Amino acid sequence: MGLLSRIADLFGRGDDDALSIPPMDGVLKPNDRLDQAERIADFAEADNLAVLDGQLVCSSGDTLYRIDPESRQAEPIRRFGGAVTMTAASAGGLLAVGVEGAGIELQTSEGWRPIDLGDANRCITAAVFRSEHEMIVAVGSSRFACADWKRDLMSKGSSGRVLAVDLGTGATRVLGEGLAFPYGVAIGQNGAVIVAESWRHRLVVLASQPSARPQVLLDRLPAYPARLLAASGGGFWLALFAPRRQLTELVLLEDGYRAEMMATIPPESWIGPDFSDAANGDQPLQAGSVRQMGIMKPWAPSRSYGLVVRLDASFQPVASFHSRAHGQMHGVASVAELDGRLYAAARGAGALLRLQPEAVS
Amino acid sequence: MASSDTLTRLRYRYLSGRLVGEILSKSWIDSAIPVAALLAVLVALAALIPGVFNAGYIADLSRQLAEFGLVALALTIVILSGGIDLSVGSTFALCVLGALVGMNVLDIGIAASLAVTLGVGIVCGLVNGVLIGYLRLRAFITTLVTLVIYRAIYDIVFPRLASVIVASTPDSPTWDYLGFGDFYGVPVSFIVFAAVALALHITLSRLRPGWRLRAVGGARKSAFNAGIDVKRTVCLAYVASGLLTAMAAFLFSARLGSTGADTGIGMEISVLTAVVLGGVSLGGGRGSVGNAIVGAILVLVLTNGLIRMSTPGSVNQLVLGAILILAVLFDAKWVKNRSKILSRVYVSPTYLALPERSKAAEAAFALNDRLGAAEPIGLGIVEGPEDVVLDADDNLYTGTRHGTIVRFLAPDYQRSEIFARIGGHPLGLAFAENGDLLTCVGGMGVYRVDREGVVSRVADETNRSWLSVIDDSRLRLPDDLDVAPDGRIFFSEATIRYEMADWVTDALEGRGNGRLICHDPRSGKTQTVLRGLVFPNGITMCRDGQSLLFAETWTCRISRYWFDGPNKGKREVFTANLPGYPDNINRGSNGTFWVALLGLRTPTFDLAMRKPAFRRRMARRIATDEWLFPNVNRGCVVHLSETGEILDVLWDQAGENHPSVTSTCEHKGYLYLGGVSNNRIGRVRLPDADPEWTARRDTWGRG
Repeated sequence: MGLLSRIADLFGRGDDDALSIPPMDGVLKPNDRLDQAERIADFAEADNLAVLDGQLVCSSGDTLYRIDPESRQAEPIRRFGGAVTMTAASAGGLLAVGVEGAGIELQTSEGWRPIDLGDANRCITAAVFRSEHEMIVAVGSSRFACADWKRDLMSKGSSGRVLAVDLGTGATRVLGEGLAFPYGVAIGQNGAVIVAESWRHRLVVLASQPSARPQVLLDRLPAYPARLLAASGGGFWLALFAPRRQLTELVLLEDGYRAEMMATIPPESWIGPDFSDAANGDQPLQAGSVRQMGIMKPWAPSRSYGLVVRLDASFQPVASFHSRAHGQMHGVASVAELDGRLYAAARGAGALLRLQPEAVS
Repeated sequence: MASSDTLTRLRYRYLSGRLVGEILSKSWIDSAIPVAALLAVLVALAALIPGVFNAGYIADLSRQLAEFGLVALALTIVILSGGIDLSVGSTFALCVLGALVGMNVLDIGIAASLAVTLGVGIVCGLVNGVLIGYLRLRAFITTLVTLVIYRAIYDIVFPRLASVIVASTPDSPTWDYLGFGDFYGVPVSFIVFAAVALALHITLSRLRPGWRLRAVGGARKSAFNAGIDVKRTVCLAYVASGLLTAMAAFLFSARLGSTGADTGIGMEISVLTAVVLGGVSLGGGRGSVGNAIVGAILVLVLTNGLIRMSTPGSVNQLVLGAILILAVLFDAKWVKNRSKILSRVYVSPTYLALPERSKAAEAAFALNDRLGAAEPIGLGIVEGPEDVVLDADDNLYTGTRHGTIVRFLAPDYQRSEIFARIGGHPLGLAFAENGDLLTCVGGMGVYRVDREGVVSRVADETNRSWLSVIDDSRLRLPDDLDVAPDGRIFFSEATIRYEMADWVTDALEGRGNGRLICHDPRSGKTQTVLRGLVFPNGITMCRDGQSLLFAETWTCRISRYWFDGPNKGKREVFTANLPGYPDNINRGSNGTFWVALLGLRTPTFDLAMRKPAFRRRMARRIATDEWLFPNVNRGCVVHLSETGEILDVLWDQAGENHPSVTSTCEHKGYLYLGGVSNNRIGRVRLPDADPEWTARRDTWGRG
């Protein structure tokens, strides 16, 4: 707390802005459209959707699957040496897979080829092909592996980077740095690189200089943004993997509490966002989430939530798809569009969803 | 870490800040600040002007106070009614004139003169009252106009009579006695003032007219809706104001025996300053006679002090004006922010460290799904069945949050009826030996329901403890009870600081706010037995008939207390460091006990309990729904042996049917489950239990 706000606090005008979470209102008004979506496949940790040759690619843990959305048949493509943290497919049929600790595995017509990104290998969170020769890769954190994302959040991490990777030589160039967990990346108009900066709850466009301050496109999001995908009809799809809560923001301000929590408690029991409200009895509960009369309130302050937002070309939300506290389809971190239908991977529920046709139109 | 934890613990044991909130919540705090200001001014004056407070000064001050104080009381009445009276100074002058005309000019005797004076005051007040009360004119503008009018009348009449007044001196010993006499050293006028003030205090604080006056001033519309004649009340407030001003004028006349052109000029400002400074709120409805007197003394002492320091009169006025502005500002802010400040400081968490749990202890609590298949009873019919008991005919009783006790009829419990209507949420239930149902009702007390369903009160208060700031005599949250073999009822009260709806906040405090209370039906007396318990919840008698078990929820501990026999007064831990928060305790078959855990400890909440400052900031800064809480979406039932060893643990693995279990009751081979935030009662079969065992037989040996 700064001196000024301390003084203001003394007079009862404390700056509580730091703890105010933007409401889900207007376009973001809650609904149950993710829970109503068709569940076409189950994977324990469904994530990292991509579209390759008219079929869906989806990961679960260290295994990558190919799914035919019509027959709903899933077949494993490959099992990797670490958890899959990213997939991206090019127009020409290249498939890039981020593997925690191992870097990128690129599938070409000749087979799999590794691309080593050095110390970025641990936390490749998203990628998009700029051409058949170059891809833009988001690195969530330079300090922690992807699986340790909670530690990065609670350390107020801002060591994320965005790299341009030459697929031929494997050479990398830094496009942006000092980002707070870039979790999604997309190419906008004029080739601008748009990044979802998760811990700062915003979308930014990278400046021409890597160290320059990026320009904010959309901020004050009520949830932590994850993957960003250019939509077929213009605009973008944004998956937001977990809700922001006042308690989380408070813990981020409470250095003493946070340090001891990180030092003495396993991360799955920390206060903070998560992909799902696991059935683990050790997990924190907020007073509003107490089950009353056999019912979990839809507006309960849960740790997890399901949210996909459609943005227009100027990055303003125009539609949203929710799974609320009483729903199941939480932790949607990745979406894909195929044949005019939107697919979403709900990692918290372990489900691959197909949304209603009108979602895309 | 350890030493800093010790420091934290000591700091919160001795300087928790709990008293700040409790003092702020008292209604006398409104008066405490002016009194403190008065004391400060007195001390400052005594220091600045040596020897200022001698007997002569006190006598002089009390005479001044008699007159000034009466006018302050007059204004207080008007302000309490939600109005203001600026015309007190002019009314005062007119009344002085009336008194002197009676005594000096007409020489009609003291009684008649008093009548004339009071008559003038009443007429002046009545004009204001009719205009403001009945014709609904604005009080400020109306009394401003009457101020000018009364003053004009005075200015017209006074010069014509001035010489007559000065020329003649009334020959009335009573008159002189009133002006200069004293009774055992106390000025007579002061005795008059004291009597009037006492009568007015009783009227305002204890009698119907006073309550109506405050109601009108506090919320005019609500007062109207409550059936109070608002117009008449307002009108009478001004009449009373005129009357009291006239009394002051009579005393003034008796003391001075003459008047001048400047009598009463500027009086409204100094009286207003006094009243507001004393703590009477300009918004109306808040204030007392005491406030007015404190304010009057304050202003008199200040002005006298300034005169003694030979400050010019204009500076004097300036100082008074400045003080008035400050007082008004403080009043406005105080009224607006008092409840805000209170809500910020009332919650006062303390340090509560629970021991770490060992792996072996965790293993005893391995998950199972023994409650998952619980057969629901009354699903959707009952809301909030905190406790369940069964009678000799196997009927099942439970309380609901609708304020009723519902009876489910044996043998299948499909049919139910409302057994009794109580009005509050019945929590703990137990049968007395004669078959009467005893219950702890949240927010009400302990009640008895006989076999016909007739409700009677057992206890709703206990002895007030001397050192408690908040009134702890009323029962706020009694929650479980049991009956000793001799008929004494022992019950726990979870917290004395919060109402039932705010029990969550008590979890955040983690302090010993609760107590164990005993009601003796033979003497009808209720006495607190143990204080400072941390959310004492479940209570059950031990089989020796001399001791009982009680659970302290937030400390995850069950203790045994001997209320009789050779160990009387002894208290020892029965079982501690449970993985969750114990609620009700009940006896089971084969000499065992059943404990319901209403929720589970979580590492983050345990950590928060060791960080009181974190919890205080959490309570201040984020919404109640967002507070960190124990995991009460998961609960279980623990079966304990006679000596406190864990025999068995029953879970509802999915946590959907019985997320939080607040009580259990074994009866003829079945275990019945209650949940204070659930909408059903559960029943599971206990394969190993004695199928004939009932709590009633265990306790009373029959039925």
